[in-house]
Amino acid sequence: MPVSAPETVPAYLAQLRRALKGAPAGLIADALADCEDHLNSEMAQNPDLSETQILVAVVETYGTPEEIAQEYRDMEHTITTPFPQPESTPERRFGFFNVVSDPRTYSALIYMLLSLATGIFYFTWTVVGISLSISLAVLIIGVPFALLFIASIRVLSHVEGRIVEALLGVRMPRRLPAGPAADESIWTKIREAFTDIRTWSSLLYMLLMLPLGIAYFIIGVVGLSLSLGVTAGSLYGLVTGESHMQITDAPVLNHLLHTAPGLIVFALLGVLAFFVVLHIARLIGLAHGKIAEGLLVRL
Amino acid sequence: MTDETAYTRKFRKELMAGLSSLVLLAVLARAGREMYGYEIAKAVKAEGEGGLIFKQGAIYPVLRSLNATGLLHSRVEASAFGPPRRYYDITDEGRKALAEWQFAWRDMREFVDDALSAGAVPPGTQGGHAGVGA
Repeated sequence: MPVSAPETVPAYLAQLRRALKGAPAGLIADALADCEDHLNSEMAQNPDLSETQILVAVVETYGTPEEIAQEYRDMEHTITTPFPQPESTPERRFGFFNVVSDPRTYSALIYMLLSLATGIFYFTWTVVGISLSISLAVLIIGVPFALLFIASIRVLSHVEGRIVEALLGVRMPRRLPAGPAADESIWTKIREAFTDIRTWSSLLYMLLMLPLGIAYFIIGVVGLSLSLGVTAGSLYGLVTGESHMQITDAPVLNHLLHTAPGLIVFALLGVLAFFVVLHIARLIGLAHGKIAEGLLVRL
Repeated sequence: MTDETAYTRKFRKELMAGLSSLVLLAVLARAGREMYGYEIAKAVKAEGEGGLIFKQGAIYPVLRSLNATGLLHSRVEASAFGPPRRYYDITDEGRKALAEWQFAWRDMREFVDDALSAGAVPPGTQGGHAGVGA
């Protein structure tokens, strides 16, 4: 397939991105970061050659974007991710109850509980950073402060990406995104920082993490304590013969809680609710992985 | 490259699939210090005539995979502005794997050389690729 050879670094990267279309977003970001660093090194090594000359040589030594894309696709299958994909489809014997033996369920639960803390921190950091950036804008230190703040958001996004990959199993970039070169003028840096859609989507993610974190935490804590509490209370009532659980608003249910069959039913309902909570945790894990992938990964 | 058939390119690629890990481990073990991708690419190119068979771009995914399996250790030198760079270093496990793989490779090479020199190449054709048995 004759594609015109790229003559500039951005053109090469754009072709590589096109060739990787459909691959996991994290893989694309990794490949682009590797490639950009290599091309930058190549340019630094040969300062007397023009960008076009270097790119011609690069296609010969580094490979065409299509070849590189294929290498990354091949390698992705062999890389050990935090949760290796099972080779064969898992047994479906227990269907609904399989969720209890899936490590991803528990890591999603941990993420839900953790997200309250990280959510509060991200939100505070972002709000303070934005307000200080805006209020300092009239002073000479306003611009460097805003740049520093955006840099901190990039680092935070990367850290959050690592957490998401480890706990939710979504492929995220394994390297920090390449920023503008250090020798560029401050105005170029500002323009790049403000025109980069990812800066804004990362900020949005950081702010969003507070309500999401609170919701995840509440769902996790309430779900687990309610389901486990009902089960444990019913079993305790069955064993000791005295039930301490009361539902004063519903006399019929309250009566059930003081009979053995009723307690058994409640114990089973509690177990069922526990599995429903595990399923909800998995679904939240999947959904949040999509959110993080959409907002944090720069393409 | 262009005068090779598609079969040959595919054959080279398959040969290289496992060997590239061996070559990269060897390069890092001999260097005895941490190196970043571009440095490693240059070192591999200097390995000999075969250097160009191996596209430099293919090094990076292999490094990543070796890192994921624990044979290499990596460290990112991060800067908020300016391209961050990942430095790779061989681990003890990597050195162990390298020793074993070298053994496996010598075994394999002897086996292939034997097979090739034992009449696989008909006399008279003087196959240039038959190699010289050790």
